[in-house]
Amino acid sequence: MPVVDVDPDELRELTGARKADDELREDLFALGLEFEGWTDDEEMQLEFAPDRLDRLSVEGIARSLRYHYGDDRGVYVPSTNDAEWTIEVEDPPAERPYITGAVVRGLDFDADSLESLIQIQEKLHATMGRDRSKGAIGVHDLVALKGEPGTGGEKSIRYTSMAPGDERFVPLESDEEMTPRAVTQRHHMGSEYAELVADMDAYPAIYDDIGLFSFPPVINGRRTEVTEDSRDLLIEMTGTDQWTIDRMCAIVCYALEARGARVERVDISYAAGTPGEYAGHTLDRPDFEVRTKRVSHDRIESIIGVEFDHATVVDCAERAGLDAEPDTDDEGTVYEIQIPPYRVDLLHPLDVIDDIGRAYGFNDLEPRYPDVSTVGGRHERSRLEDAARDALVGLGFEDLLNFHMISAAENYDNLGIAPGDDVVGGGEPVSIREPYSEAYTMLRTWALPSLLMVLENNTHRAYPQYLSEIGLAARLDETETTGAAEHRTVAGVLAESGISYEDARARLQGIAAAFGKTLETPPTEHPTFISGRTAEIVLDGNVVGVVGEIHPEVLVEHGLEVPVAAFEFRLDGLA
Amino acid sequence: MQLPHAQVAVLRAADAETDRPITDIASDADLQPETATRAAFELDESGLLAVRDCEEETVSLTEEGAEYVREGLPELRLYAAALDAGAADGSVPLGDVLSEAALDGDAVDIALANFARKGYGEVESGHVTVDGDAGPESDRERLALEALAADESVPDEQVLERLDGRGLVERNTSTVREVRLTDDGVTALTDGVEAAETVDRITAKLLTSGEWRDVEFEEYKVTADAEDITHGKEHILRQTANRVKDVLVGMGFTEMAGPHADAQFWINDCLFMPQDHPARTHWDQFDLDSPGQIQALPEELVERVRSAHLDGVGPDGEGYHSPWDTDVAKSLDLRGHTTSLSMRYLSGYQEGDLEPPERYFSVEKVYRNDTLDPTHLLEFFQIEGWVLAEELSARDLMGTFTEFYRQFGITDLEFKPHYNPYTEPSFELFGTHPETGELVEVGNSGIFREEVRQPLGVEADVMAWGLSLERLLMLIYGFEDIRDVHGTLCDLELLRNVEVMH
Repeated sequence: MPVVDVDPDELRELTGARKADDELREDLFALGLEFEGWTDDEEMQLEFAPDRLDRLSVEGIARSLRYHYGDDRGVYVPSTNDAEWTIEVEDPPAERPYITGAVVRGLDFDADSLESLIQIQEKLHATMGRDRSKGAIGVHDLVALKGEPGTGGEKSIRYTSMAPGDERFVPLESDEEMTPRAVTQRHHMGSEYAELVADMDAYPAIYDDIGLFSFPPVINGRRTEVTEDSRDLLIEMTGTDQWTIDRMCAIVCYALEARGARVERVDISYAAGTPGEYAGHTLDRPDFEVRTKRVSHDRIESIIGVEFDHATVVDCAERAGLDAEPDTDDEGTVYEIQIPPYRVDLLHPLDVIDDIGRAYGFNDLEPRYPDVSTVGGRHERSRLEDAARDALVGLGFEDLLNFHMISAAENYDNLGIAPGDDVVGGGEPVSIREPYSEAYTMLRTWALPSLLMVLENNTHRAYPQYLSEIGLAARLDETETTGAAEHRTVAGVLAESGISYEDARARLQGIAAAFGKTLETPPTEHPTFISGRTAEIVLDGNVVGVVGEIHPEVLVEHGLEVPVAAFEFRLDGLA
Repeated sequence: MQLPHAQVAVLRAADAETDRPITDIASDADLQPETATRAAFELDESGLLAVRDCEEETVSLTEEGAEYVREGLPELRLYAAALDAGAADGSVPLGDVLSEAALDGDAVDIALANFARKGYGEVESGHVTVDGDAGPESDRERLALEALAADESVPDEQVLERLDGRGLVERNTSTVREVRLTDDGVTALTDGVEAAETVDRITAKLLTSGEWRDVEFEEYKVTADAEDITHGKEHILRQTANRVKDVLVGMGFTEMAGPHADAQFWINDCLFMPQDHPARTHWDQFDLDSPGQIQALPEELVERVRSAHLDGVGPDGEGYHSPWDTDVAKSLDLRGHTTSLSMRYLSGYQEGDLEPPERYFSVEKVYRNDTLDPTHLLEFFQIEGWVLAEELSARDLMGTFTEFYRQFGITDLEFKPHYNPYTEPSFELFGTHPETGELVEVGNSGIFREEVRQPLGVEADVMAWGLSLERLLMLIYGFEDIRDVHGTLCDLELLRNVEVMH
């Protein structure tokens, strides 16, 4: 979940509410922002669910608090000035066809507000921007830019592509003029994002009249770096989806506008023949369009479980930063809900109902047990499993619970078998792609390896150790839709000096009798067991498993100094 | 005086002059040691015998101690070799002396340290001198070791401590129980005691012959501890799972079952998780290498789910601006939650179409690529439950879950509005810890979004919740490290001693 660092003094200034730290923390908790602790700079670390991305900055959180306090109500859309600048989209890489932008003027940065601008970029990159792959933000000092003369005499910059080795510029945090390729190879920030352009023949590039100033999504040029002295900014965002970068842009513009800046529109002019959906079109940005959704009064009441009058619904919507207009006819009342552009999380009318519920106060609702009657019951397999477990426990077994994931060495090698062997446990593995731990690379094909590992880890504990487990085992099987055959397996080990095959056979007899099955144990060979002391388990004529004395090689491999008799069979053999 | 048979035998075997070990008494009296012990305590209570426990120390040589008995203490070997080399008259090179004494490795340090401590001489700048009058033949440590090797006792406590400190001896104390006749006991024996007709074990003969009517039953010490028995026992987490299943079945829920290795379609796509959602990277879930893809998915359902992702649901719905690829939907994972089962059941794919009202649950394994720590495992049990009914509200959800948690002693449930991609509204559930009184997270819940329900063809409302079984167990039992309980690193001792769940 996202975490933002917020200076409580800034929150007090931006909300205008003189609240003590602990009052602030309570108010923030009510909004779903959990206080996680203090940073070294005495800022609050606030964690929240990743839906309200408009709260990724102190400005956004302050806005939510002002609605919460009732200081603000309803939808707010900043006014914007006419465009002076155009972004000409000429020939961007097909892998990254989209750009958006805005000009923001009249900023008065200090260290805190500049820090906040950097934080919101980082947080948006990490969330909506999907680590810059879907959307990447570049912020530039407008003073350092020289517009190319455009078609209407206005100033323009160009979003296009460049050959990785041809162009040269000085990237941020460097004094050296480098090619974009060199930036991806040896610049400490550039190399971090090299992967995003690794498959591109030509790299994304943004030029002004002076030359290259941004290499999205990797790094900006140093020439246009924003400092505390910057007053006017050009914001550009490139990405793989226009909607996503437009929303990111709206969130950033709202945050800067809350600091007293003025937003100025920018024309995005996609040339004919550019990749993507907007070839030949000009977009007016930032996109502050207010969306509408229609929500029925009945649905609000049925989801929240409370009867409302219209005024309460409108009041709750306004306190959530939305506008609601009731429209009543014979069918009932429907509200037309206005949604500001920064609310990227409201996809469906149900999301609006949630906002109304939060404003109303879900925790004030009286719980009620639903008057709905159903008949419950256990799954047949789970009942069989329980009955078998009861039988094992009655025979003196200590029931265990082990992981289904295991390593190939533990599953096969340490028991003397190999994948593909035609013996119990010899199935081909259901294996994990790029496993992080050598201990967990596949699903076990049988449970006996798990029990032997428990014996190995408990040699210091009192004997006898009669252990059993009923659990999942799986192997590849093309006849299954998923390609994996999963079954429940029953495994038992008897570890004690003097134990032998007969002790395991005796317990199997007990289980078979309990389930009304005929048990036969014809001799067989299995590398895990001692030859001549190994048998197939045949229940009612079906071969379902194996029983025997564990081979000394396997015992020694597991560091055991007592004999072990063991069995393993399919649970459905008892059905 | 009439006494039970065992008491008479013990009394006769005991002596008034010396303390005798109970084991000797038992063998003289031809009794099992525990029978003799019991009888001795009974006699002690009636004042005829005095029982006392005395500590007895045994000192034995360690392997290293035994070696020094054979080869000599390293410092003495050093002394002897140095003396031979003429170190009593002037310093000689230490290296030569060490090799002459055949000392190497740790033995060198041991030799030098003790040589200096005992004042046998001095070592300086790689040269050694010895005190010719030091008299190593009366070295107390050497004499003590030799005495121990000959099974003699060593009364010198100081030397024993020193040898113990050097790791050359092992000192064990054991308790020996001894008895002695008291004056009353002597008097009783003199006056004459005889065995009463008492019976220890009941036999078949005793019962069938009717003799039981005439005998006296020996009195047992019923307050004494008996021997421990290791018994079969259901795993504590299974007990917890069964307790949860009982509660849910009682509340009208039916159990689900389904695959652990499943298509991302059922695990994520049906749940309206965008395919570029950060939690869907392979860092968080276990993708399978083989098998790679599911062989079949219901095509119409796939199309409806795809459309919900891209365009949303209903006239005012919006979709995600995220890529959607059927190959991703088909790829197989170990399920990260059992909500994949809920999707299979709600779609009708698992057991046919469902008509509201229905309640379903499962308590089954899920797999998450978390960091292993005392509270997180790579696989754990998820309790999953949902209710399908017309017009369910947040209040119905709160009422249902309040009732569920109340069964486990968790009251004062709080519902904190939350965000899940697949439910709206959503609530994190917090409850008061029954032991510590802290407010802790106990689950996550919500009402399924229309983007989840509509593609599945579900028209009624569905409310659902989930929590980890291990978390519930840890709350109830106060376990600190779940790895002691679940998995091959489990501690049998802990599992044997843990209280049962009821």
